[in-house]
Amino acid sequence: MTGAPDAVELRPKLVGQRVRRTEDPRLLAGAGRYVDDLTPPGALHVAIRRSDQPHARIRGIGATEALALPGVVAVFDARDLEGMIRPAIPASRMAGYHATPIWPLARGTVRYVGEPVVAVLAESRYVAEDALELVAIDYEPLPFAIRAADAAADGAPLLHEDAGTNVIIAREFARGDVDAVFRDAPVIVGGRFRMTRKTAVAMENRSYLAAWDRGRAALTLHSSTNIPGIIRDVLAGCLELPGNRLRVVAPDVGGSFGGKGSLYQEEMLVAALARRLERPVKFTSDRLEDLSATSQAFDEVIEAELALDAEGMLLGLRAEVTGDIGAYSIYPWTGALEPVQVASFLPGPYRLAHYRGRVRGVLTPKPPTGPYRGVGRPSSTFAMERLIDMAARKLGMDPMEIRRRNLVTAPEFPYRTASGIVWDRSAFQECLAAACDHADYPALLRARDAARAAGRWVGIGLASYAELTGIGSRISVAPGMPINTGTETAAIRIDATGAVTAAFGIASHGQGLETTLAQVIADELGCRMEDVEVQHGDSALLPASSGTYASRSAVLAGGAATLSARVVKAKLLRAAAHLMDVPAEALEASGGIIRARSSNTSMSFQEVAQAVYAGMGRIPREQREELTASETYDPYLGTAGSATHLAMVEIDPGTYGVTVTRYVVAEDCGRIINPLIVDGQVQGGVAQGIGAALLEEVVHDDDGQCVTASLADYLVPIATGMPEIGIVHVEAVLPATLGGFRGMGEGGTIGAPAAIANAVADALSPLGIEVDTLPVTPDRIFRMVEAARLRNPGQRTGA
Amino acid sequence: MKPAPFDYLRAESVAHAVQSLADAGGDGKVIAGGQSLMPMMNFRLVKPSLLVDINHIPDLAGIRQQGGRLGIGALVRHRTTAADPVIARHVPVLHAAMRHVAHLTVRNRGTFCGSVCHADPAAEMPMIALLLDGTVQTATPRGGRRLPARDFFLGPLMTALEPDELVTEIEMDTLPADTGWGFEEFARRHGDYALAAVAVTVDRQDGRAAGPRIAVMGVGDRPMRMPEAEAALDGSDMGEAAIDAAVEALRATIAPNADLHASADYRRHLAGVLAGRALRGAWTRARERLAA
Ligand SMILES: Cc1cc2nc3c(=O)[nH]c(=O)nc-3n(C[C@H](O)[C@H](O)[C@H](O)COP(=O)(O)OP(=O)(O)OC[C@H]3O[C@@H](n4cnc5c(N)ncnc54)[C@H](O)[C@@H]3O)c2cc1C
Repeated sequence: MTGAPDAVELRPKLVGQRVRRTEDPRLLAGAGRYVDDLTPPGALHVAIRRSDQPHARIRGIGATEALALPGVVAVFDARDLEGMIRPAIPASRMAGYHATPIWPLARGTVRYVGEPVVAVLAESRYVAEDALELVAIDYEPLPFAIRAADAAADGAPLLHEDAGTNVIIAREFARGDVDAVFRDAPVIVGGRFRMTRKTAVAMENRSYLAAWDRGRAALTLHSSTNIPGIIRDVLAGCLELPGNRLRVVAPDVGGSFGGKGSLYQEEMLVAALARRLERPVKFTSDRLEDLSATSQAFDEVIEAELALDAEGMLLGLRAEVTGDIGAYSIYPWTGALEPVQVASFLPGPYRLAHYRGRVRGVLTPKPPTGPYRGVGRPSSTFAMERLIDMAARKLGMDPMEIRRRNLVTAPEFPYRTASGIVWDRSAFQECLAAACDHADYPALLRARDAARAAGRWVGIGLASYAELTGIGSRISVAPGMPINTGTETAAIRIDATGAVTAAFGIASHGQGLETTLAQVIADELGCRMEDVEVQHGDSALLPASSGTYASRSAVLAGGAATLSARVVKAKLLRAAAHLMDVPAEALEASGGIIRARSSNTSMSFQEVAQAVYAGMGRIPREQREELTASETYDPYLGTAGSATHLAMVEIDPGTYGVTVTRYVVAEDCGRIINPLIVDGQVQGGVAQGIGAALLEEVVHDDDGQCVTASLADYLVPIATGMPEIGIVHVEAVLPATLGGFRGMGEGGTIGAPAAIANAVADALSPLGIEVDTLPVTPDRIFRMVEAARLRNPGQRTGA
Repeated sequence: MKPAPFDYLRAESVAHAVQSLADAGGDGKVIAGGQSLMPMMNFRLVKPSLLVDINHIPDLAGIRQQGGRLGIGALVRHRTTAADPVIARHVPVLHAAMRHVAHLTVRNRGTFCGSVCHADPAAEMPMIALLLDGTVQTATPRGGRRLPARDFFLGPLMTALEPDELVTEIEMDTLPADTGWGFEEFARRHGDYALAAVAVTVDRQDGRAAGPRIAVMGVGDRPMRMPEAEAALDGSDMGEAAIDAAVEALRATIAPNADLHASADYRRHLAGVLAGRALRGAWTRARERLAA
């Protein structure tokens, strides 16, 4: 463990231990507090009438009957909100981009089924829903193109007239002379890969509660969001309220996976209505609304070709990415977030000189796409790893060997990818080797071949990837986004009782950051974990904050915690030195006790704190310092997290059901703060990625209706369907981040779809079938097998 | 997802229940386990004005075996059906089917009779009732009826029940120990409604199939028996050719719908695969029937 310039002291401490999550007793025993648990007296409940039209002009809205229903307090549509709130604008510096404004309710035109149109406020949600049925909306249907390819075509009906096009995002990444390389390349493989639309399906649905304090003219919004700081800042503009009279609190949040990481119309709505009506206003989405109006993900077609030499060395890659971004650009990330990252991450962890990736983001009448665990990389990794396996097959080369030859090696770091991303250093090669070792790859190949000889459909798939984590202020998390997401502040104080409180701008929503940050702080300060209270998810804690997303919190908040704790500790030791009459350098702290190394005198944190704050004159006036610090950490660049996933699957040759029989992840997340939590993140991510690979798909029919708006139709993975997941933590050369941490919350969903796709393709390879669409469902396998049967009538294709 | 307003009535007896349904004039609904009804009410797909709760009516929770028939009362939960030793021994095909029904929480409340009344075309229990020549025993204010299962299912979520008719028990054949049976199901995830399932029973006499019964689900608007396939097998040696012929007959009979999860062609293929497996399994289990 060398290489980190600011490594924490090398005493065996809490960092690195499998400390149990301190959040869990609260969350598992039902003592958590989610937004929907909060119902202040006098609260009004909102139910929303949503568009049942993909694209239509609103000719009229009739609410008289709804208003007459006992218990209904008010009915609002966009006209009633004029002047109450300004729209949010998802701005970007990207050339040629068009920002579509976000209003709380549809203004004149609806653009997707599920878009909020009318809000009913009532004394209960039941009554509000009764009233919804009485609202009459008169629509004039407008033409639309529901598929991105049609929407991008010349002359397609426009979703936003003023944009003048449905293609509001277009960008190109290029390096070298890719066309020349393709002209002479001995081996070329290509495909048209499709990662279908997904949605995050957090266990807790989105929920918002706004309360207006008439006396203070101040608004508090409780929101199930993972970006409370960003929401505060944007709403301050929309509502024209200063930050000291607008507070956004994310209490316990039951998962997000990206789905709660953007501004929502309902957040704007409850805020505006609470101020207008001077009553608390609450909206809790139900599952139907969650599945039809929470931000969705992926929905890309990636047409890509890979050129290689005869030894299997990558020569060039070219790709056209079309992203179906839905009806609006999302705040703050914009609709560019997902598809542009597909193009920028497509070259992956490989040495590749020549690349051209073009990407378009196309408006269609569907819910907006937004962040989803892994952003862009689940799709890019799927396409690239499929190409690598297709090339290996064409060359007759082992999939492990072709990766070994092409993954960037240690001496090449820092490596600038063909799209301009810099891999600082990460265990690309070591993860590949570790995954194969752990699974006993040669034995697995023999087992597969034996099964195949017995007529079984068994396959093995590898996927290697790298991602950028802990991104600092040098790089925008989303392309051209004008919001700084690259810094994080920790305000740490030791109070008059000697207790430690640490406030952050992050917003943990299942990651266990209360535990991991307390580990870091306790180590730095020399106190016990239980002495440390971690606060987060509240815009009032710090002057500026953003939240938890993009695998940033452990790196950025961990770094800020380290910096602040060091300052507080220095102050504490100076005070103790005075009180104990020894030089500060002679003192050390552990377990909440400060000891002099040379003598056996000691003082507890509590005794020192009491002396500092309450003990009149015990510390001379000019030496007295508050035991507080507020330091900001900015890693400036980011650091690469990387992994190799290995999956083995068996396909039933009759039903085409896919069973994952083996799964191994070898990953490098730098210094591990808490292996228990890292394991949990890997397992959850892999489960989610298996869902993306085999089950999950948001489907809109040709009429623009979402036909997967219940959990009977949008299938998420369930625990009993999960394989045992072997996890190897590869801690190679640590990154230059403070503490040597890398982000790792998203990796599972990045590697798993590709690994499963490759394993399924391997199992089907005797039939000459390649997998190009996820999820690879039994029905899709059936159709591929049928097509293969037509191609090779003689071949045996199962039961 | 909140239901429309409704009144709730806790029925104390079968007579009380059916009279209350009659009084509601066609606008009342029985609630048993609520595992299908409540989701439909929350989606506002059904808006009964009155819910008649039968959960507190005494003597409806029994399972009885009598003269080659098994009776399952209106309040027998899936959990009980799945664990009952009499069912495991005498109706093993039902026991096997229950492994595929939903998840623990749903099984704790859902009822066999409720499932049959709900008549989902991809639910296991209606198919088993049909396979085993079940009879639905009902009560109304005008007296009861005994409805053969083959006349009971009219379409998706549609049955022959009158609005004021309560099912009190469903009866079906038990299987003699030498009868072979098979049950095969495929769902996207374990516990989901099936994409298709096939259940069969067959006796073996002089090395030949006797009285085979084949039922399928998930491939039509209701569970179905497959008389053509049954006829193709009856008296056969149950060899691969005979089974293939039955599978082909089955595939030719059904006209599955396409939906989100499966195309019609895949469903037809799948039903055939499952039928072949169920028949092979049943034949392996069947033992030579001794002449009576
Ligand atoms: C997540 C989930 C997964 C499921 N998976 C499966 C599955 O894999 N396979 C499967 O078969 N089922 C499945 N189900 C449905 C479950 O089995 C239901 O419990 C069952 O279909 C209905 O039984 P119930 O007692 O809950 O009926 P209820 O929901 O109470 O009633 C259903 C209908 O039957 C009527 N009814 C009920 N009892 C009577 C009666 N005695 N007389 C007259 N009418 C009556 C009601 O009025 C209503 O119309 C699932 C349900 C859920 C929620």
